[in-house]
Amino acid sequence: MINETLQHPRNTSVRPTSSEKIQTVTAITFTRSVLEAEGPIVVEFMSYGCAHCREIEPVLEQVAKMVEPREKIFRVNIAVEQELAASYQIQGTPTLVMFLNHNEVGRVEGPSPAVSSVLTAVTQPFESQSETK
Amino acid sequence: MMQKQPKPILLFNDECAVCRHIGHWVQRSAQGKSDETSIIVQPIGDDPEKLRSLNPDLDIWDAYETIHILMPDRSMRLGGEAVAEVLRDLPNTKWFAGSFAISIFGFRPFQVMLNVAYAILADVRPLFGCESCGKPRVWLRPVEWLTKWAKTLFGERPHPSAHFSSLSAASRGR
Repeated sequence: MINETLQHPRNTSVRPTSSEKIQTVTAITFTRSVLEAEGPIVVEFMSYGCAHCREIEPVLEQVAKMVEPREKIFRVNIAVEQELAASYQIQGTPTLVMFLNHNEVGRVEGPSPAVSSVLTAVTQPFESQSETK
Repeated sequence: MMQKQPKPILLFNDECAVCRHIGHWVQRSAQGKSDETSIIVQPIGDDPEKLRSLNPDLDIWDAYETIHILMPDRSMRLGGEAVAEVLRDLPNTKWFAGSFAISIFGFRPFQVMLNVAYAILADVRPLFGCESCGKPRVWLRPVEWLTKWAKTLFGERPHPSAHFSSLSAASRGR
């Protein structure tokens, strides 16, 4: 239960909003940052009003630190980027879509908000791609 | 840059039907018969930076989690304290809202009751289809399971992940 009056600046370090590791991409920057980029890219389609996205945010932030610099993780706010979400047939949030060299190689809908599950979700599709080569 | 804020701003979760109804009720009540409003009511929205321009300490995730009211003196009130502030600002309710400030040896019985009422309301919101309000608390899980089971009888298939908000469900809440 949260009932308080905030008179002074609050320490918001527990749940970072302006992520250091995860940058927000828009429809304008999506092509350059995701589709034209080399190497493994993960895009989290999310919404700030989604409680599950709120739960997964610190976990994904932690995973982003673990997988860099091999992988980059971006965020797309589907409440703003509705056309982009529709073009990738996003059914809900959070959805993690994995891209490798311009192509989608996997996606996970609603991963469990645990570091191990998210880490598996964002690494396995790329590992299976390299195994098939 | 901080915007000038002459009146309290109530932020509500526009993706939650219960919160939206309450927000609209507050808006109507604050307006009264005159054009002058005692409180500004606005949805939280999707832009973290826009919220930070209202108050640098305002976190968009926190705003969706708990009701926030931004005061003209740049302080923020949350949860039951925010509800008390709203009731103090509305013409129809301010006559009894003074009771929340009554303190007996530092204990505010009416405010505590309001806090509990707010906590219960916040807990039951997911049962009314608010996917943005998170998972129902443990004491409400049996009701959640029953609701899900009842929905399957009408042909609705739940998503296999319990950590997923489907867009179709979100749009139904509107």
